[in-house]
Amino acid sequence: MDQYSILGRIGEGAHGIVFKAKHIETGETVALKKVALRRLEDGIPNQALREIKALQEIEENQYVVTLKNVFPHGTGFVLVFEYMLSDLSEVIRNSQRPLTESQVKGYMLMLLKGVAFCHENCIMHRDLKPANLLISSTGQLKIADFGLARLFSNEGERLYSHQVATRWYRAPELLYGARKYDEGVDLWAVGCIFGELINNSPLFPGENDIEQLCCVLRVLGTPNQQVWPEITELPDYNKITFKENPPIPLEEIVPDTSPQAVDLLKKFLVYPSKQRITASQALLHPYFFTDPLPAHHSELPIPQRGGGRSRQRLQPPHEFSVDRPLYKSLVDPALIHGHA
Amino acid sequence: MQKKRKNKQSVMYHNSSQKKFWTFSSEEHLEQLRYEANQRLRAKVLGSARDLTAFSESLFLDPLEEAVLFRHYERRLLDFCTNFKPVMPKSVVGTANMYFRRFYVNNSLMEYHPRIIMLTCAYLACKVDEFNVSSSQFVGNLQETSAGQEKALEQILEYELLLIQQLNFHLVVHNPYRPMEGFLIDLKTRYLTLENPEMLRKTADDFLNRAMLTDVGLLFSPSQIALTAVLNSASRAGINMESYLTECLGLKEDKETLSKMIDSMKRIKTLLKKYEPPNPEEVSTYKQKLERIHTEFIINTNSKRKRGYEDDDHVTKEHPVAEEEEWTDEDLECLRS
Repeated sequence: MDQYSILGRIGEGAHGIVFKAKHIETGETVALKKVALRRLEDGIPNQALREIKALQEIEENQYVVTLKNVFPHGTGFVLVFEYMLSDLSEVIRNSQRPLTESQVKGYMLMLLKGVAFCHENCIMHRDLKPANLLISSTGQLKIADFGLARLFSNEGERLYSHQVATRWYRAPELLYGARKYDEGVDLWAVGCIFGELINNSPLFPGENDIEQLCCVLRVLGTPNQQVWPEITELPDYNKITFKENPPIPLEEIVPDTSPQAVDLLKKFLVYPSKQRITASQALLHPYFFTDPLPAHHSELPIPQRGGGRSRQRLQPPHEFSVDRPLYKSLVDPALIHGHA
Repeated sequence: MQKKRKNKQSVMYHNSSQKKFWTFSSEEHLEQLRYEANQRLRAKVLGSARDLTAFSESLFLDPLEEAVLFRHYERRLLDFCTNFKPVMPKSVVGTANMYFRRFYVNNSLMEYHPRIIMLTCAYLACKVDEFNVSSSQFVGNLQETSAGQEKALEQILEYELLLIQQLNFHLVVHNPYRPMEGFLIDLKTRYLTLENPEMLRKTADDFLNRAMLTDVGLLFSPSQIALTAVLNSASRAGINMESYLTECLGLKEDKETLSKMIDSMKRIKTLLKKYEPPNPEEVSTYKQKLERIHTEFIINTNSKRKRGYEDDDHVTKEHPVAEEEEWTDEDLECLRS
């Protein structure tokens, strides 16, 4: 722990508070996530184990947040991640008007590259949502929070929990209680995030699990065996019936966007998981190759944490004082990036 | 499709912490590390003992004696796993066993009692491999009174953090079971000289079970072990499968890799042959030594970690609301001062 000096609090993570800190030796800014073990009934939480497992076994990737170190601390341990300035939910919340098509493409490109990488490494994330897509000080998007991630290469037909993924981004098979599912749950979430970037508001903002299903059904139409053969095998299929209603054309749901965008969105938001377009296929979709081309990450907005209320972008160095740690007198290079 | 899946697997092993940190160069290297762990423990005990005469050298287990006891507890671990209800998947058993072996590469049995470490290994393996059993279900498998089970659980939870630290937080273990399935599929599809590859399964399975009781998992890749199991099973049945290596695995032109591979397979087989089951008389003598060391000395050194938990309770009781902040304050405090 004495290798790091704490600079402040970033927020709440899946298993505790996350701090911003500086690695004293290298001067590198990092995020520290402490996993405390107080007489927990089952010991070290599965979420922490999953996160370590998923991130330790993959090679570094530009679009996945890096786990730099894990070390014991007190009665628990600390996960050290690269520091990220913000996340995509802040981007969406803080932008005054919807993102431009080129910016949406830029984010989608990075998101899909990250998801493709995870899936190639047999990891399904299971909780993709804007708040888990971190944005670096240079505008790079990286997937984070692997607390629900699973290695899906494990043998056999193991049953998984359906209580995964934040509700708005939860795939319909999960809403119907599926215990066997695949990386398609991530692709559904990608579709939801895509729609949210276009519209600047969530696509399916259900307030509870039943309403969530209603939201999805209202847009995609009531599912039946023709469009979704596996539906009858899902645990909760018979528990709830909905009034028949036809699908609404997606063009009406995301009105102000290009036909290519609608076409790609349609390919994510389909009922049968196997029919959803894979991340690597999606990267080849004409959407990314037609004008306006995807924005480079340096052209993307970089919001400050906490909506930019609390922090000035550029602070002049304070007067020299012997008692003041040297690093406090220095301007964080990340802050002047873009001004220089 | 099959080919693609095989690639994925090998890519994963290729990047794995197992390959990078837990595959050792030689049997001698492992022996050396265990010897050092034994020496460290001796130095620690002698360094802290007030009355040196109470700790004559003969009280300690030497590395060979530790090895005998290790094999004894390893068998107990495997018995526990095999009799576990609900049935424990093979990969969980393999992972638990590898944790146990990895733990005692750098630690002496005299420092941490194998009885509790072996249970902690099994418990952690269940969680990491997503074999979901509750903690009470887990200890319910111990032949103990409910008070005994509760005590065991308490100890498991107490040692879990130590274990994960000693494993260097490297949790994913690649077992030879999947590669073996892969080889059997490959034989069925590409090695048509062999009529019924399934007949190799039984002996190959036995081979992998015996391999688990040796260091091969710390020395060779899972696919090397699996291939040896399959080829060994074939040769037992009087089938020479060298043409599988040269033709199907494409090693005909690559004499260097081929000879390396044959050499590795020989070493794996030798390790299995060399295995001696622990002698019950020796076990009971060494156990007495072990118990004595643990009761007379080790209690003092390990109390520190225990106290950590007590402190924790203390904090929780006194400031139930500030629970989350406990780490924060203390860490921020030392920075501000």
